[in-house]
Amino acid sequence: MSDLIQSMDSPQTIAGAARQLREIARQKAIAPQAVLEVFDQWAAALDDRGGHEAPGMTFLRLWLRRGNLEPVVLRELGANSLNGEWREDGRARLRAFPLGVVGHWPAGNVAIQPILSLTCALLGGNTCLVRVPSRLVSITRQVMDKLQEADRSGGLIERVAMISFDHARMDLHEAMAQAVDGAMIWGGADAVMQVRRLPFPHWARVLVFGPRVSAAIMDAETWGDRTERSSWCRRIARDVWQFDQQACSSPQTLFLERGAGCDPSEFVEDLRQAFQTENRQHPRRQIEPALTSAICLVRASWLLGNAGNRAVFPASPDWTILLGTGEEMPTPTQGRTLSVLVVDDLLKVISKFDGTLQTLGLGIRDVQKEEKLALAAGRHGVDRIVKLGRMHVFSSPWDGTELVRPMVRLVRHVPG
Amino acid sequence: MSALAEIEQGIEGLLTQAPYGVDPRQRHDALLALLKQELAYACGRNPRFCNYVEQWPADFRVAEKIADLPYLPVGVFKENPPLALVGDGEVKRTLTSSATTGQSPSRVVLDAATARRMAKGLITIIRDFIGPARRPYLVIDTPENLTAQAEMGARGAAVQGLRSFATEVVSCLRPSPEGDSSIDLEKLLACAAEWKHADVLVYGFTYVIWTYLVEPLRHQGITLGMPNVHVLHSGGWKRLERQAVTRDEFNRGAAAVFGCAAERILDYYGMIENVGVVYPDCAYGNKHAPAFAEIIVRNPLTLAPVRAGEQGLIQVCSVLPTSFPGFLLLTEDLAAVIGGDECPCGRRGISFRFAGRAPKAEARGCGNLETMRYPPLQGTGVA
Repeated sequence: MSDLIQSMDSPQTIAGAARQLREIARQKAIAPQAVLEVFDQWAAALDDRGGHEAPGMTFLRLWLRRGNLEPVVLRELGANSLNGEWREDGRARLRAFPLGVVGHWPAGNVAIQPILSLTCALLGGNTCLVRVPSRLVSITRQVMDKLQEADRSGGLIERVAMISFDHARMDLHEAMAQAVDGAMIWGGADAVMQVRRLPFPHWARVLVFGPRVSAAIMDAETWGDRTERSSWCRRIARDVWQFDQQACSSPQTLFLERGAGCDPSEFVEDLRQAFQTENRQHPRRQIEPALTSAICLVRASWLLGNAGNRAVFPASPDWTILLGTGEEMPTPTQGRTLSVLVVDDLLKVISKFDGTLQTLGLGIRDVQKEEKLALAAGRHGVDRIVKLGRMHVFSSPWDGTELVRPMVRLVRHVPG
Repeated sequence: MSALAEIEQGIEGLLTQAPYGVDPRQRHDALLALLKQELAYACGRNPRFCNYVEQWPADFRVAEKIADLPYLPVGVFKENPPLALVGDGEVKRTLTSSATTGQSPSRVVLDAATARRMAKGLITIIRDFIGPARRPYLVIDTPENLTAQAEMGARGAAVQGLRSFATEVVSCLRPSPEGDSSIDLEKLLACAAEWKHADVLVYGFTYVIWTYLVEPLRHQGITLGMPNVHVLHSGGWKRLERQAVTRDEFNRGAAAVFGCAAERILDYYGMIENVGVVYPDCAYGNKHAPAFAEIIVRNPLTLAPVRAGEQGLIQVCSVLPTSFPGFLLLTEDLAAVIGGDECPCGRRGISFRFAGRAPKAEARGCGNLETMRYPPLQGTGVA
């Protein structure tokens, strides 16, 4: 089995890889149906695993299943799009064609992101040039080996070139940018800005995801209900733990609506237990010393800042719950640090969102109240409003944008 | 006797002991008892600090190890006004750290008693390395850092701290009109000629010595011919690391310029938040904690103390301050523990080696949001 991730150190080799991909994109059309079939087999191959799993693998298996992706294709590309044929549009016909070569710059913090990114472009019939961040090379290679197993005809694997190079090599980033027709860029502010400045061709479509933050809200009826509270706390813990709270969909703050007879300390006690359980099941295996310092600093700053503030944390940096009041979202620390803020009015909290909030996790009992909050959240820039425990479920649209359609051209044919 | 008086008596007791001769077990127990008293005292003086201590995962009153006591991250001293245990009227001096560009400096407040102990602690430590004699003191800095001021930077504090070893003090840098410094070569050569055979104390920030003295003199081929100097330097290696200057290279370069043995060049680790305690290298390249202080190196993953041979974040512990809660501080620096109590230099207790600043965390993915999309509007709010 050949190594699917090639280390590159010259602009010429990158340009060469892109040329090959462009030829394939032009010569060999592939319908979404065929891509979905291979993806389904790929998901099955990933089930056949052994040993330690990278974060997000369970999700990736679900993501790749036909039952998940087929509705995405149908919604984004139209009812008869699976076979890649023309569809009627009044007196004209429409058909989705790939942009060509799509370049992918995934973030280094989400193990499965190179794969998620490329699946979106492949569904549009594109070929993909993926820059794999150095820390994700090993896991990406494992996942791509499974694609090689699943893709018996090789029709899909030949549409992907995975490359790795030093992130500081701007000449290589530039060569990659010049060679693509579309780009999917993911990551933090610095990384995204750096990639956006690259010399893409004027026709290239550039899709940028990130950086964003996320939060959660619960009404008093929900968090004050002792019978259901621990179940909610487990969901919150799951959302905090996934991707080590570094993803744009990770909750950084939980706002609790104040309620008569509801004691936030009791809630935090349940949350503590949920965090402890989650930590036992998914212990951290390594940490950057600077993150440890940041966690220690936020604990101290929180408690020193106001003698009325409370915090619950173990002696280790494993997790932290900061309890207090306030409608503003504190600067995120990440590293499994959740601020729990008691507020009088959830709508007031939402009214302060500034457009940087991506996902709002909800624990709201009353349907009408939820409707009102969702409407307000949408107006204040929130792109995803989901139930707590499902904050990371990657689906289309993401960041308010479709995932497949931006990387295809809808060609209109008006028959004479 | 008041709680503070009892604490002061305890500190004095530790300050008068041989700084590196106490049995580690005895030292640990003495420090633990005193640090508990100090924590209780600080809780009584500052309700916000009390809030922090009370919510620490373990009760400090029943702790059996210094490592189990609540510690503060050193970053909390970047707050302004600074975290204090004394009222404004009792503040004699405020020390500020040399912050790197774009960062806020740390600030600690000293009352008269803490300032006195700071000086005493420093003298006790340095005396153990260079001997007690007073001698000419050559400062590789500008004259403004020779005078004590109410608000003093790290460089000024370090220069001032060594004054009690001095029979006379000469500074050999002059400020340039561009805001930079340059060597006053005439003055320096006159000192070198006058103190040729004398035992001389030299102090400067590491990068200052290298940039303004060693490099220019080396290029000009000048050797000062001062074989009996002790060159003390501190302030960190970050700037020199950027220039790829290693410790060995620094030691060789400085020794060549002064015309002394490389062993006479002494690097010490210290910070303004840990007033009165510095950690010079011993002859074997290790650092040691004196009787009134302790070092704990913590594993970043667990925050538990590491074993010999392992590396982690440095926690400095000191009984000296009573004007601010700087007893137990987790720094952002890394060190490796060398051994428990067996350094061939004879100094007792843990030996460690500084391993640099913890590298800044990598960009932390798509959730790494540092800017607001719509900054709050200024001046349009309704009062």
